[in-house]
Amino acid sequence: MNCNRRDFLKLAGASAVCLTLGQLGFNLDEAFAYAGKLKIEGAKEFISICPFCAVCCQVIAYVKDGRLVSVEGDPDFPVNQGSLCAKGAGLMGMYTGKPRLMKPLYRAPYSDKWEEKDWDWTLDQIARRIKDDRDKNFVARNADGKTVNRLENIFMMGTSHASNEECALMHQALRSLGIVYMDHQART
Amino acid sequence: MSKAILIDTTRCTACRGCQVGCKQWHNLPANRTYQMGTHQNPPDLNPFNFKLVRFNEHEQKDGTVVWNFFPDQCRHCVTPICKDVADMAVPGAIIQQPETGIVLFTEKTALLSPEDVKAVTDACPYNIPRYNPQTRLLVKCDMCVDRVNAGLPPICVQTCPTGCMVFGNREEILDLARKRLDYARQRHPKAFLCDAEDVNVIFLLAEDKKYYYKYASFA
Repeated sequence: MNCNRRDFLKLAGASAVCLTLGQLGFNLDEAFAYAGKLKIEGAKEFISICPFCAVCCQVIAYVKDGRLVSVEGDPDFPVNQGSLCAKGAGLMGMYTGKPRLMKPLYRAPYSDKWEEKDWDWTLDQIARRIKDDRDKNFVARNADGKTVNRLENIFMMGTSHASNEECALMHQALRSLGIVYMDHQART
Repeated sequence: MSKAILIDTTRCTACRGCQVGCKQWHNLPANRTYQMGTHQNPPDLNPFNFKLVRFNEHEQKDGTVVWNFFPDQCRHCVTPICKDVADMAVPGAIIQQPETGIVLFTEKTALLSPEDVKAVTDACPYNIPRYNPQTRLLVKCDMCVDRVNAGLPPICVQTCPTGCMVFGNREEILDLARKRLDYARQRHPKAFLCDAEDVNVIFLLAEDKKYYYKYASFA
């Protein structure tokens, strides 16, 4: 038997433990059988970010057979160091919860029903309406005749999750439309 | 080497991350909840809540209000009374893992008669075991034994954002508990550790247990 010093110590230690517990009459199988099933065993780990507040805690999402099995805080991330608040700790519920939307919903003017729509249609609609609204309501000059080039009909609600660079890009896109009212959600 | 958890309630902000994390890890279903006039929700431990943050407020002599938080859970007693009681009826219904000292309720608790269930429940000095009439199982916190055996901390400890909960080897946790007690006494002269010699989930309370929860401490 090929055995270095470390292995030998491990073996010696293990047999010593087994001997004493065996002698005392403990049934070890039961405790191990009960403790044997770790639900994230063999799951693939994906790093993600909690979507709720501006702290942006990092989470590990465990995926097994194409399904999310568990979400917990990422201990290696310096901001939350593995911890989460009640909202973040309940992230699995966002995935398994019944009210979760899987497709965009559209309610036509004066309708009392929501219809499921695909993303292409939805994005086209948003673009179309922004363009129409801008064409109709764009303010090139104010009452004094000064050039202002603004669009006061649209309000932009951003996200505290956007990085500096993303914010700069969004800001430029919205300013180019003439939108002046912008804010972000700060907290849920 | 026995494992232990220190719960320093002077650091608890009652965010209830532990409570929700526990529910998620154990895949426990939701309870129908109601506005009870308190943030303590659900109102008590039940078969689907092994961990519950209890809220208690009282007015001091100077008119200021103190709001205490108590993240209740099984204490994993060094010598579990529930196990002794259950062993008399169904051996193996309640077991203690020798390496970690974790006290576990197994599927065999379904074999306990209603009288045995009552005896086990009444024996617990901390009012922890809960009976699930559907599965006929007696259930409680298992200190995430699956995670602990895989080298991970229990999910409540991992989730805790304020560092109120700490998990580790019993000796280290006892040392830390004494250090935290010394520190807490600077602000709260009546601070004490709940049954530190007898349990593996050690609570540090800032004042008398009546200002937290009736069963917070045995001694």
